Amino acid sequence: MRVKARLFATLRDHLPEDASDNMVEVELSEEATVGDLLDELAVPADEVRVTMVNGRARPRDWELEPDDEVGIFPPVGGG
Amino acid sequence: MHDRTQSPPASNERYDKQVLFRGIGPEGQRALGDATVAIMGLGALGTVIADTLCRAGVGTLRLIDRDFVELSNLQRQTLFTEADAQERLPKVVAAARRLAEINSTITIEPLIRDLHAGNALEILQGADLVLDGTDNLETRLLVNDACLELGIPWVYGAALGAQGNAMTIIPGETPCLRCLIADVPPPGVMPTCDSEGVLAPLTGIIGSWEAAEALRLLTGQPPRQGVLLADVWHGDMRIVELDRRADCPACGGTYDYLTGERTTFTTSMCGRNAVQISPAEERQISLDVLETRLARAGDVANNGFLLTFAVDETELIVFPTGRAIVKGTTDEAVARSLYARYVGT
Repeated sequence: MRVKARLFATLRDHLPEDASDNMVEVELSEEATVGDLLDELAVPADEVRVTMVNGRARPRDWELEPDDEVGIFPPVGGG
Repeated sequence: MHDRTQSPPASNERYDKQVLFRGIGPEGQRALGDATVAIMGLGALGTVIADTLCRAGVGTLRLIDRDFVELSNLQRQTLFTEADAQERLPKVVAAARRLAEINSTITIEPLIRDLHAGNALEILQGADLVLDGTDNLETRLLVNDACLELGIPWVYGAALGAQGNAMTIIPGETPCLRCLIADVPPPGVMPTCDSEGVLAPLTGIIGSWEAAEALRLLTGQPPRQGVLLADVWHGDMRIVELDRRADCPACGGTYDYLTGERTTFTTSMCGRNAVQISPAEERQISLDVLETRLARAGDVANNGFLLTFAVDETELIVFPTGRAIVKGTTDEAVARSLYARYVGT
């Protein structure tokens, strides 16, 4: 199945060069989870604190559906 | 401390435009005048928040910050001037002076304090609302624990580079900060102000978002839902919905940061080549006595609020509670050693 991933803030560094803006389409096996998507994108788990699926925060073991849109955010600690 | 001499009237010329706004009105303005708001941290977010709420007529502003003004603050910390940086004024002292000039009818409580597990409840107690202007995740998780324990609503806000977050936390009702961020990431993982910098328009937006939420909550509006994710550089702003985490320790009444289970004695400071040393228990030390003692060992300056002592490539800045900032190193062991040598433990 194909899902869309959006990487935010410093995680943009992990986007492939041909990505449009902050979005990339990824091919995953059926029943893949949010965690599997992170592995596929080679985003270090430590750098990620918030993952959301279709606008709702979801954990790493959340199972994805075709055409889901996944947002991936680093923690923000400054101020 | 700047005490107001008389309560501001529910509506007067000063607040005209705000009272005209239907969401607030005369009743809302009175509620603001009766409220006490604690602002944790007087950096970029905190100064924007304090400036806005002071002008809005929030009756009492409690300002809490451990740091002093430096030239590199002026790019985004809106209440400070070059003179404040030259004098190395504690941020809450400089902010209180400026705020009193802006609105002399409100009460300002400037606290030159470092929030830690041992004093968090005492410092935040009595506030109707706590707003986040801190610069690190550990302090935020401590504020989260303390506010849940005290039952005080608080607004999380954070800004780094061009990316910021904000979220309203009502104890027992909404998700809390640990529902969003389970724990402080391991050292070296979090981007810092050093590695990413921070843009003033971003801190303006996030600070204003927090201040707007304060106006809403203090006038009886329901909390905004979800987490704000803002990127002012790429022009992206969105709200992510968040559920309470079933296994969230803080929501379950386990306050790891408040019990000191997860808090540290020394902390590296965001955006600074510096380490802070906080004694496990605060104690009063005489800066005058310390000045006399250290004058024999090197260059000392004492402005009554803090003492500065230069040694080799580093600088010790000592506060009357025994807390110190060691500038010129990020090595906590070096900092502890300098502290032990010159301030004593």
